[in-house]
Amino acid sequence: MRRRTLLLAGTAGASALVVGWMAAPQRSRLGSPRLLTAADGEVALNGWIKIAADGGVVLAMPRSEMGQGVHTALAMLAAEELDVPLAAVLIEQAGSDKIYGNVAYSVLNLPFHPLDVEREDGFGRVKASRWVVGKVAREIGINATGGSSSVADAWPVVRMAAATARASLLGAASLHWRLPVDELTVRQGVISHPSGKSARYAEMARFAAATPAGRVQVKERAAWTLIGRPAPRLDVPAKVDGSAVFGLDVRVPGMKFAAVRLCPVIGGSPGRIDASRALALPGVERLVMLPAYGGSTAGFAVIGRTTWHARQGAAAVDVEWQGRPAGSLDSRSIERALRNAVETQAGFTFHETGDVAEVEGRAKRTVEAWYGAPYLAHASLEPMNCTARVADRRVELWAPTQVPQLCRAAAAMVAGVELEDVTLHVTLLGGGFGRRLEVDYAAQATRVAMDVPGTAVQLSWSREEDTTHDFYRPMQVARLRGTLDDEGQALSLRIQSAGDAISPRWFERVLPAGLRATLSGLQLTAPALPGVSSLSGPLDRPDKTAAEGLFNLPYGIAHQRMDHVATRSGVPVGFWRSVGHSHNAFFAESFIDEMAHAAGADPVAFRRRLLRNAPRYQAVLDLAAAKAGWGSGLPQGRARGIALHESFGSIVAQVAEVSIEQGLPRVHRVVCAIDCGTVVNPQILAQQMEGAVAFALSAALYGRIDVRGGAVQQRNFPDQPLVSLKHSPRVETWIVPSEREPAGVGEPGVPPLAPAVANAVFALTHRRLRQLPLALDTDA
Amino acid sequence: MQLSINGRMVEAEAEPAMPLLWVLRDVLGLTGTKYGCGVAACGACTVRVDGQPVRSCVTPVSAVAGRKVVTIEGLRTGSAPHPLQAAWIAEQVPQCGYCQSGMLMAAASLLERKPKPTDADIDEAITNLCRCGTYQRVRAAIKRAAGIKA
Repeated sequence: MRRRTLLLAGTAGASALVVGWMAAPQRSRLGSPRLLTAADGEVALNGWIKIAADGGVVLAMPRSEMGQGVHTALAMLAAEELDVPLAAVLIEQAGSDKIYGNVAYSVLNLPFHPLDVEREDGFGRVKASRWVVGKVAREIGINATGGSSSVADAWPVVRMAAATARASLLGAASLHWRLPVDELTVRQGVISHPSGKSARYAEMARFAAATPAGRVQVKERAAWTLIGRPAPRLDVPAKVDGSAVFGLDVRVPGMKFAAVRLCPVIGGSPGRIDASRALALPGVERLVMLPAYGGSTAGFAVIGRTTWHARQGAAAVDVEWQGRPAGSLDSRSIERALRNAVETQAGFTFHETGDVAEVEGRAKRTVEAWYGAPYLAHASLEPMNCTARVADRRVELWAPTQVPQLCRAAAAMVAGVELEDVTLHVTLLGGGFGRRLEVDYAAQATRVAMDVPGTAVQLSWSREEDTTHDFYRPMQVARLRGTLDDEGQALSLRIQSAGDAISPRWFERVLPAGLRATLSGLQLTAPALPGVSSLSGPLDRPDKTAAEGLFNLPYGIAHQRMDHVATRSGVPVGFWRSVGHSHNAFFAESFIDEMAHAAGADPVAFRRRLLRNAPRYQAVLDLAAAKAGWGSGLPQGRARGIALHESFGSIVAQVAEVSIEQGLPRVHRVVCAIDCGTVVNPQILAQQMEGAVAFALSAALYGRIDVRGGAVQQRNFPDQPLVSLKHSPRVETWIVPSEREPAGVGEPGVPPLAPAVANAVFALTHRRLRQLPLALDTDA
Repeated sequence: MQLSINGRMVEAEAEPAMPLLWVLRDVLGLTGTKYGCGVAACGACTVRVDGQPVRSCVTPVSAVAGRKVVTIEGLRTGSAPHPLQAAWIAEQVPQCGYCQSGMLMAAASLLERKPKPTDADIDEAITNLCRCGTYQRVRAAIKRAAGIKA
């Protein structure tokens, strides 16, 4: 299949619409005050902002807090425009109106090369496709927290909502006092006039609700007092005294607890089952069979007085599992099949420039290598869980989820009720990393609660269930081939990769049927749009999410080609923090390092030359190299490695300082440089870089999921280790100043880490590690 | 069963073999102590028993009869936050926050044993797992609470 290059007819009318949407505030997403419930003297001014009786501000919060600091970041945007202290902003879970949908998540996921995006003037194929996808995303309004998109999405909307609220409040004061509005100022939520008149927001809120905001503009950058400065997170105090409520901490009077036991073989199901011994145990109350909900595997749950009683009961159930047909799944044979796919299938050409085949035919020096990455589990520290109560054809859920609407839809389907009859309370998430973009646990909890009407049931998975029934980062392989000229300049780069498509599987298991049909229809009619033909969607098209990070490299190599074969192996796969970038950066940045060494060049100098026309990338690379002391001496037995990668709109370079201890790389220090556009809170940014390094280092050193006979072999932390405090490196974060719109920071710190470490290992040992997790013999 | 939890005697309806973790969470409603692995590997369930850090997921409740159990809910002294809690806020340690109760309880035991811990002491004492990677701030906060310059 060839990349489609159909042109979109750019009519004048469409141009105007595009310019309007890209440049103007997203007015249609401000929403009506009626979307918010005003209690205790609160006054809603639009779909996002309420003024509380005590003068505080309440922000409708559609995004889930899973550690990335989104509650604080979005609150900062509101506080900035309203001129109130950050601590005066309270968070309230947003409803399900489409204004709260995450538009940026879809728009930013289009498979465009970032340099093509930058180079496009006016109305071209990139803006056209983004506009259409943005329109669709706004109409559908899916509320998802993922893709490092929350701040990018909220940036125009929350600031405009807050600025509009502020304008109405000032307008109300102006009318009330009969004073010109431009003579009024606001400090700390108090409106005042030089004449001495002053009023707190709360005093003007009712008048403001009836006062049109007029023409509103968000603040100029120079007027910011909060954005761009470190601010303490709103969620920290409750996380140091035990009062923070995660999914597992929901307590409802009279509640029961349920333990889950799913067939160990992926896709299998319980056959003959005998629960008599289990039900005879004290505190064990009931067995509930669980079909394979939301793409998970079938099994059963046991309800008990406590989680412990329920788990004792689940373990005591005598069951014969039926493992066919997935019983033949084996990750070793899947790996062979992926290599075979690379060798025998053309795949989808995500990127092509120049004529790679012609250059390869005449080049004198060729570098070629195979790379591979295994399946990986998410391993959030809080295992999957959901609390549900079903009564009178209504469902109430308490869930740590990244997709509240999709969980509601799953519950509605299971309970046979309307979507409107499902209420969902989003709790704090004890880690997400993409695992909580799934709905299996919410469907299971609903099913279990249906058997004890009126009683809330907290369904939770053991660590072993969580590890063995994840939606894994897919195994991927890639073959890379580069050529060099006599001066050591890179001439061509060809990448062929294969791995399971993620997006079509996700769409088919989590989307309600109606929405899936709508999106499938759009996908069928949209191939004329560049990029959309390979946009992640319900139809099994070339999967951008598995190929991202290979087709959009910044290097100015004249001849490039990137083909990807989307496979379907049968192991459930899902979105894992930084998704395709997480392994593709390892392939690409390790290989660029190989080319640098083949050219006899310093890895930083080699990259710099290739980034002549990508100054943003070059600046990030230079900053990381400078701060890490690239080229300066190190103690005996240590070496540095560097990697550079763009993902989710942010460019990150990392320099890892590595030694070898007991046959494993030991990472002592990681210097990160990032350009993520405008930084909202540099303190949270630094946290995310530190966290991404630890997360990625666990994967680089230990992370693997092996499937044998259809069953996942790893079960708990002893055989699925995480990096410990003792082995975690010192992480330093440096920011390239930027006035661009903000991009993501939750994921972009993950991709460069593994190649930076592997490149350091090469510098130290001259051994090139091309398979994750990185393994050295003890004699190395 | 009579238990001493956070300085108070409480009555808990529990079989002797039931792990302390589930008695705290599902019987007494003290949900600050977390379940992470059930095999004493991650430390999210760490509480203090007579001052010692204990992984409550593998500790039968019968083993703490007559001993003083302190959970995250009892870490503060009176109305003032524990110095570690203040340090945790100053260093902005938590991300998702799920492992932090266990981290704090392990750190509290360390500081009582070694008021001025070295890096090696911290490495040895804090074996709790954090998926978000808060480790470097955990280390900084322990030093801050101990009055050690980082």
